[in-house]
Amino acid sequence: MSHSTVPRPRAEAKTSGTAPVVSDDTTGPPRKDDRRTGGLSLRLRFRRDRALLLMTLPAVLLILVFNYIPILGNVVAFQDYDPYLSDNGFVAIFQSPWVGVEQFERIFADSDFWHAVQNTFVLFFLQLVLFFPVPILLALLINSIVRPRVRAVAQAVMYLPHFFSWVLVVTVFMQIFGGAGVIAQTLRQHGVDGFDLMTNPETFKYLVTVEMIWKDAGWGIIVFLAALSSVSHDLYEAAAMDGAGRWRRMWHITLPALRPVIALLLVLRVGDALTVGFEQLLLQRQAVGVEASDVLDTYVWWNGIRNQDFSYAAAAGLIKGVVGLALVLTANKVAHLMGEQGVYKK
Amino acid sequence: MTPNSAAPSAPSRRSFLASTAVATAVVAGGVPLLSACGGSQEGRKEGTTSGKDAKKILPTFVASNVVAPDIPAKNGSAAGFTKAIPTAELKTSVPKKLGSGGGLKVMAPFWGTPPKGDNPYYAAMNEAVGVEVTWQNQDGVTYDQKLGAVLASTDIPDVVVVPGWNLMGKIPSAVNAKFADLGPYISGDKVKAYPNLAAVPSEAWQRGIFGGRLRAVPMPASYVTDIAPMYRRDLFDKKGYTVPTSPEEFLSWAKEATDAKSKIWACDDMKWSAFNFYGVFPGSDKALWWNMVDGKLVNRVETDEYLEALEWTRKLYAARVVHPDAVSGKAGGNARNRFTAGQSLVFNDNISAWWGSVSEQATQKSDFDMAAFDIFGADGGDPTLWAVQPANIFTFVSKKATEQQIKDFLALCNYCAAPYGTKEFMLTAYGVEGTDYDMKKGMPVKSTTGVNEVNGAYDYTGNPAPYVAYPDFPEVTRGIVEWQQRMGAFTEKTSFFGLTVTEPNRWANLADNFEQLEDDVVRGRKKISDVQQAVSDWKSKGGDDLRDWYKKLLDDTGSAN
Repeated sequence: MSHSTVPRPRAEAKTSGTAPVVSDDTTGPPRKDDRRTGGLSLRLRFRRDRALLLMTLPAVLLILVFNYIPILGNVVAFQDYDPYLSDNGFVAIFQSPWVGVEQFERIFADSDFWHAVQNTFVLFFLQLVLFFPVPILLALLINSIVRPRVRAVAQAVMYLPHFFSWVLVVTVFMQIFGGAGVIAQTLRQHGVDGFDLMTNPETFKYLVTVEMIWKDAGWGIIVFLAALSSVSHDLYEAAAMDGAGRWRRMWHITLPALRPVIALLLVLRVGDALTVGFEQLLLQRQAVGVEASDVLDTYVWWNGIRNQDFSYAAAAGLIKGVVGLALVLTANKVAHLMGEQGVYKK
Repeated sequence: MTPNSAAPSAPSRRSFLASTAVATAVVAGGVPLLSACGGSQEGRKEGTTSGKDAKKILPTFVASNVVAPDIPAKNGSAAGFTKAIPTAELKTSVPKKLGSGGGLKVMAPFWGTPPKGDNPYYAAMNEAVGVEVTWQNQDGVTYDQKLGAVLASTDIPDVVVVPGWNLMGKIPSAVNAKFADLGPYISGDKVKAYPNLAAVPSEAWQRGIFGGRLRAVPMPASYVTDIAPMYRRDLFDKKGYTVPTSPEEFLSWAKEATDAKSKIWACDDMKWSAFNFYGVFPGSDKALWWNMVDGKLVNRVETDEYLEALEWTRKLYAARVVHPDAVSGKAGGNARNRFTAGQSLVFNDNISAWWGSVSEQATQKSDFDMAAFDIFGADGGDPTLWAVQPANIFTFVSKKATEQQIKDFLALCNYCAAPYGTKEFMLTAYGVEGTDYDMKKGMPVKSTTGVNEVNGAYDYTGNPAPYVAYPDFPEVTRGIVEWQQRMGAFTEKTSFFGLTVTEPNRWANLADNFEQLEDDVVRGRKKISDVQQAVSDWKSKGGDDLRDWYKKLLDDTGSAN
């Protein structure tokens, strides 16, 4: 809270750090934390910021109702929850028997769960290595297009697949790479049988990543383009004057300008590491089998929601949440060590 | 127009095929029920009801003989009607409007795009029944996901349709907890107030007993297997193929008929038919998975026939005679489209979908022709077929509904259960004359409006005894009914046929992953030995306990046969 951008009285007391604490007439004797709070009591600060607080209230309420209160529902992970014990699903929570960590034991004993964990991490790393750099490259490419009309068309073409549903994307890939697709039929005409990329469990992870790149890489360039547009042209001109070529300018001006954004997105991506796709994988589940296609989210859906085993689903979700939290904290720490802002700073 | 089928349209059928094995079935009734549960609404939570206990709550059967079918029901088949009835000769089965004018919210699955709520067909139906029905149609393919959430909430619709294949996990206990007992309104002779419901066969009503109470109005269906191997008769004739008569012959024919270069494959995924060829116990309803063999209850997954059927299907895939898109399962698209496009020559379908494919293609390809071929036995002789449940879609009314609402619900069901040859049937099945259909050469023909509006909604709220009535394609009607009769002659019943069994919650998910495993095995991703391993895991994780539980159930209640 100390980095508030709102102008406030006696900010120098905070920024100087060592400045002597001057007691305020209205707040009585100085308090211990006055230095950190700019010397104002809670009541005064409240009064000063009340308009701002009021404005954040709706958002806070939403987060409370939809994000924080449901967290309490995780309690069913330690129960054998049956929503039909009572007419009211919430009341049923209180009536369901406690089973301790039994649900977790069941999960850890399930080989399918470990397949799902493995697939999740494999897909995450593949996406990180293959998917993550693509929007950056595309943004650099788009940025180098000078004619506005060409640029607009290129951008539109790249954004478009983002708005296709996964069903459509998978169907398009089927028509091209499937066993009865364009490539397979062309090969067959020339005596080569058996081409089918859509049903091969070994290469499935690459297929999924490529589908994802095709669908969403274009959309991902938006943030990078915004960052690029803020780079001053003077820098490029100055560098050019000094004899820096295309590559040097990119290396020394463009990329450093993108660095904070890249770091931020990377941290966010790592925090989301365990979310590697859902509908896309569910759709192709039968094509390659559970072992190749199940990730944590689909595992939870299939075993928990679909079979009405809510406690099991909640336990699996809880595991995912805890691991995700650990990952985001680690990534943020690493970002700090690299001298970047990361997602937040204390 | 065969509301008695589980599958009004292609997508529904697919979802049916996809989900039946997992779908747990659960069904009927239980032990010394009535005596045990006094006046409690809850009834029993597990088990089934049959015999004397069932008789006490089943409605009295009073046959209806409005129009004699051209092809009478035999061997468990539906009755067939091939002729259109002139408007002037239509009978009246509901002389007095039974509805009170009250409102009912009905949640039901819908395959396709639901029409607007205020269309002429719905208005006419509501007016005729005397109940203001408001439809809450949900996508049939993902209905199971909605159902769980809706039932767990405090605010459930007045009337809820539950397909049997959606009775998974804890849904059966929800059914027992949330839905009203219809017994006080229709048990025994009380049903005579609703003559069309009285004409619903008792074996269908028996399926409506959930947790010891008559809770559901069932949709009656033929108990002959509903999965038929359909083939392109036109293409078979053109190429001079004869219909295969054994699994071996099928495989060798398939290798000959597949011409991948020209985008023609012999078949689609044949797993469900393979189960029939090899005489595997039915996969649609979990209680039917069990059968008494030499004094011991045996589950379908434990049988050699089960493994043989999977192995044969695997050979088809390995021989590359299966359409490659079928390998992809859901992602590969619709099997029926591949069939009608001529890319596959044989595919599994619900027998009742025959008419849908033919009538759809009639306007596009004049020479399109298809038929179901007879299921053959594993050695090429007569097959051993097992009966499926005589009703597998259920309509319930909420426990919170008022007495008047329950009566209105029954009035609605009575109207929709009107048999062929009545005015009520014509309105329910064809809609409003002049708007939804016109009489052309004595034949009712749906208009575009009719095709869009009269499409699925009132299919689940009451149905007459199983029938097939397609006057526009009499040869399809004949084909379906005669196929059922021929197959019905080979059909036997497993121990829990006709019963709705609610399994204890702790074992409800035990067999959920077998269907996925089957799909992996036939596609060559897993081995038969993996199935054997899964079966031994299943036994030790509760399969053997479940066997004992079912055995006790059988000893206590007896079978329905």
